[in-house]
Amino acid sequence: MHEFSLAVEVINLAQREAEKSNAREIKEITIEVGDLSGVEADAFGSALDLLVKDSILDHAVVNIHKMPGKGKCAACNLEFEMTHRMAACPKCRCFPSEINGGDQFRVVSLLVE
Amino acid sequence: MCETCGCSESGEFKIHDLHHHHDHEPIHDHKHGHSHDHDHGYEHSHDHDHQHEHEHDGVFHSHDHDHPHQKVINLNVDILSDNNRLAQLNRRFFEGRKVLCLNLVSSPGSGKTSILEKTIQALIPTRKIAVIEGDQQTLLDAERIEKSGAPAIQINTGSGCHLDARMVDLALEKLEVESGSILFIENVGNLVCPAMFDLGEAKRVVVISVTEGEDKPLKYPYMFQSSHLCLINKSDLLPYVDFDTEKAIGYARSLNPKLEFILVSAKTGEGMNLWYEWLAGQTK
Repeated sequence: MHEFSLAVEVINLAQREAEKSNAREIKEITIEVGDLSGVEADAFGSALDLLVKDSILDHAVVNIHKMPGKGKCAACNLEFEMTHRMAACPKCRCFPSEINGGDQFRVVSLLVE
Repeated sequence: MCETCGCSESGEFKIHDLHHHHDHEPIHDHKHGHSHDHDHGYEHSHDHDHQHEHEHDGVFHSHDHDHPHQKVINLNVDILSDNNRLAQLNRRFFEGRKVLCLNLVSSPGSGKTSILEKTIQALIPTRKIAVIEGDQQTLLDAERIEKSGAPAIQINTGSGCHLDARMVDLALEKLEVESGSILFIENVGNLVCPAMFDLGEAKRVVVISVTEGEDKPLKYPYMFQSSHLCLINKSDLLPYVDFDTEKAIGYARSLNPKLEFILVSAKTGEGMNLWYEWLAGQTK
């Protein structure tokens, strides 16, 4: 449950970027949270909601996109949607599988004014 | 403050040198110079100041019109990039001084501090050792470590639930880490949050004990996936508990096939020689 610390990181990052581009206000922020990133998207969203008050993101629309996890079986190379890190290959039941996406946790873009 | 787990929102923490007291708060004022090298795609960034001249009643005058325009800044930047960058600077610092830095993680009560006490007592005659202790409160662990013969510095994370690279960076200003040392960082007892925060360590060591469930690796997969060695402590209690060592190892290996295991007892010393050999092997 490190989502609060991560929300603080996002606010700091947004503040820095706004200063760099001399923006007065951030209208919108888009964040991707991968299913396999180790971040609980809902908890992170709630944490951000609580912490944005009086910050540069106070009036920003927050878009949080949950990105599906993708795995590639180490044995048969099948690519499949991975719902959790322990997911076995749906074809040959082997695991662990290589994580091939959905582990990102990043700020995609800001809409500034 | 986070009411669920106590994560700090203000980032207040304190670093205690047992001999001199220094408080650091807030952490955002750290001195590390670091640069940002993200790609910035700016869509239509141009100047918006226009001058218009008007004629009113035969008199010319001009107005400045400043139109606020919106623009999209494409960042695609990892939210932990700041921590990762600082961790990388710490890592280079350790490598430059030939310091073996190990990040010890576990749930509370698995015996990390006891393992460190025994390790220091055994190795200090032949090896330089320093310790960074992370706990929410108290200097107790740093005091225990210093009694066993190694310099230690305590980071109290306050309401924070993990150490981060910045705290380690600041602790290094107060702790003399000699060239060729082993630096143990004892993280806050927590198998969840510390998994995400690289401190700049060479290896991560996860400690579990036989009084815990053998299914711990399955419950906290991120920690076991990001570790290099698993110490299974309190082996002296195996006759009295239902812990199935093979099962625990099997679960952890299913997550991380490269994970190594050593069964130890900090209390009786059983298996500790294997741990010392592993440590020696890291610096060959």
